[in-house]
Amino acid sequence: MDCEQARDRLSEYQDGNLDAAAAASLAAHLRGCADCAGCVGSLLAVRELLRNMPPEPAPPELVARVLAAVEAEAGDSVASAPPGEAEAATPFLSRFRIPLEAAAAVLLFASVYWYQRTTLPAVRPPTGPSSVISSEAPKESHSGPAAAKEVAAVNPPSRPRLPRGVPKPPKGDAPAAGPRTWTEASLPSVPALRASTDSEPIVPISPSPGPEEASRAAGAPPSGKRRGPEGDADLLLSRVFAPRPSRLLRPVPYGRDIVVDVKPEDREGAEERIAEATFRFGGIVERIDRGSESTEKGPPGTVRAILPEIAAAGFLEELRRIGTVPSTGLSAATGVPAGPRPGTVAYAIRIRVR
Amino acid sequence: MDLLVEAFRKGNPGAFEAIVRAHQDRVYSFCARMLSDREDALDAAQEVFLSAWRNLSGFRGDAALSTWLLRIAANRCLNRIRRRKSLAEREAAWPVPFGDADDGVTFQPAGAESERPDRLAEACEMGEILTEALSRLDPGSRWMVLLSDVEGFSYEEIASLADVPVGTVKSRLHRARMAMRRLLSPVA
Repeated sequence: MDCEQARDRLSEYQDGNLDAAAAASLAAHLRGCADCAGCVGSLLAVRELLRNMPPEPAPPELVARVLAAVEAEAGDSVASAPPGEAEAATPFLSRFRIPLEAAAAVLLFASVYWYQRTTLPAVRPPTGPSSVISSEAPKESHSGPAAAKEVAAVNPPSRPRLPRGVPKPPKGDAPAAGPRTWTEASLPSVPALRASTDSEPIVPISPSPGPEEASRAAGAPPSGKRRGPEGDADLLLSRVFAPRPSRLLRPVPYGRDIVVDVKPEDREGAEERIAEATFRFGGIVERIDRGSESTEKGPPGTVRAILPEIAAAGFLEELRRIGTVPSTGLSAATGVPAGPRPGTVAYAIRIRVR
Repeated sequence: MDLLVEAFRKGNPGAFEAIVRAHQDRVYSFCARMLSDREDALDAAQEVFLSAWRNLSGFRGDAALSTWLLRIAANRCLNRIRRRKSLAEREAAWPVPFGDADDGVTFQPAGAESERPDRLAEACEMGEILTEALSRLDPGSRWMVLLSDVEGFSYEEIASLADVPVGTVKSRLHRARMAMRRLLSPVA
């Protein structure tokens, strides 16, 4: 390797980019050539100087200029926020560029849906878990036949769609002469079933109908433990088929009020016992009211328990062990008071000393 | 991922200013050495950070944030140099920075140099000496020396940024370093 070849490779040599053979050859040349060795030394010195060059301090106005430029680009309201944040800071509605037609369609749908909900028989809260559905003779809705006609007028072609395998009702709008039997599995979706309750009797049968169901199918009054005096077939229907209320339509979850009467000697630690029961059922508890108006027997207090929906029944049983729940304190509709999230229930438990 | 970048993505309002403050010296310094003009360097650095603000959400964190910013700065400076009318006139006599025909280093013409005193000899601090020596290189070579020897970019990164073969980067860097060695021989 001569000096010219060596010097052409010095830069790569000092960067360590020469392969082993070339590097060895160059190193051998450098050992015998003082000029090239000196050249390598000065190149290394220059490189070290460049590497250690301190950065020039930026003028103080640079930051202000950059921020001003960013602010000008992002808009006055979102200075120095990322572009994504700038979008987030724009007014809520202006972020949705929905065509006017689409908005009108949604509004129309909502209006029709609301009209149907308000016109159809009200769905009362369920009384308890049940997979058996039963209906007796067509129950007159509380809004009367006029309302049913209105519904029919609003939705004339939407004759209840029957599931496959179910015999179609006779032509004409006259109610069926006798009750029809349906299996639960073959029942249609909710709106169709709800419409069916207005027009014809539905007496579904469970896959293995027991004597009670059989008697109900024959028109006998219900005798189940959960049956109320009002003939709660509708309640059961709604329990099984009513759609869960939208989270948007649920009330603010303060929980259903429950009164628990405790004896004066049991008042102490009642909250803790409720909390313990709540935790045992996988829930959380918070104290709402410490009970400022203390009575002679002890201060009242209210706690809120939030539990998984499936634990609600067990928790209510446990509550009855902690104290007496008067009939007014535990209403018939303590089934599924909406909790703060879907699948949860909330109870506001007022402890009363009796 | 840089903590400041994460904070910026989360919408922390002070995060971007902190990023600018953390990297302003390095970015400005590169621009100033590359452009040899304070106002131009300020404008270029501002462009770099504005571009970063626009594109920081796409920053993947493969390289350090400083490296990412320097890549932007390198591109911006290169564009500015190409746009400069005076430099374009000057470069008419020079080889194009990344042309295929010639990858040699050409120093400033004698006429241009004679209009200014030899500040290299007058410079008392090593930083000034180096800056002055760098300014004697043609813009393309200066750009490569700054990226390679000052900022530590690899041959491949520089080749990718300049869109030239790696071999071109090697040879141009070698010539530029030899030129720097000659320029700095009195002090180095």
